[in-house]
Amino acid sequence: MFVLFCPHCQEKREEEEFGYGGEAFRVRPSTPDTVDDETWGDYLFMRSNPKGWNWELWSHATGCRKFFVVKRNTATNAIAGSWTLAEGRKVYDAEGGAQ
Amino acid sequence: MAEPLMQSPLSAFDLGVQARAIDDSRGVWASEIPLLAYISLRGDAGDAAFVEKVVSVIGMPLPVAPCTFAASNGVTALWMSPDEWMIVCRRERLSELTSGLKSILQGIRSQVADNSGGYTQVSLQGRNALDVLQHASVYDFAALQPGRVVGTTFGKSSVYAYRADNGFRLIMRRSFADYIWRYLVRAAAPYGLGIAAIEATGHAGQGVAE
Repeated sequence: MFVLFCPHCQEKREEEEFGYGGEAFRVRPSTPDTVDDETWGDYLFMRSNPKGWNWELWSHATGCRKFFVVKRNTATNAIAGSWTLAEGRKVYDAEGGAQ
Repeated sequence: MAEPLMQSPLSAFDLGVQARAIDDSRGVWASEIPLLAYISLRGDAGDAAFVEKVVSVIGMPLPVAPCTFAASNGVTALWMSPDEWMIVCRRERLSELTSGLKSILQGIRSQVADNSGGYTQVSLQGRNALDVLQHASVYDFAALQPGRVVGTTFGKSSVYAYRADNGFRLIMRRSFADYIWRYLVRAAAPYGLGIAAIEATGHAGQGVAE
């Protein structure tokens, strides 16, 4: 169990209040009708699944019900921070994307 | 053809029959405050025109700070999310407030929806009210400040909770009301549970008294 800071509620809350939303900032192919099966399959099914720092989506399921992004270390559960989607995107881009 | 019947989600428990005045004999006093009106209001808190127009209808500042609420003149406005509020009032004021909000917000990106059938609320008082909540939720209710409202877990479901009338007020979805009430009864058993007469708590016919 860990504690997440919800950037919308501006409070730290127990993990039990949240739902995991998967990897953040995945890019959907802009033309799904014309991409080949491999590209579309990668988008649908493949995740980077790193051991280490991971950008992920969480939803505050029992609170404000908004999604936000968390940078979490999957090996240690260390949490570098949580941001709204817009703010998180800036930090993510400044870092040069997932590392 | 039978007429539609307005019934609270906890009506099967016959709480009214068991209700009595609050005294020191029990650690926890609970009662449902049934059949209030719940209006879901959505809009952009950063849009000054939206906030200003809502204020002119509800007659108090809209709580735009996270996890806060405001109450005045029988109307309670609860912050639910950065773009969503719950307006709670007596049923008698439901149509006045919904139509007032809808007409004044025309042309402004917003939504006003009557959710009165979807929610009910329970008042929890007594010296062990806090203990009962600590049994049921992961949130540290001892740290809950007056004027703040939080959405958190309650057993396997969720509630919105805030401090009111020397205790707590729990707002829950009607579909979970039965589960939550049974959970409360079980959790309060070690402390002794009394069903408080809502007349005694000042809510009879008045809904949200602040």
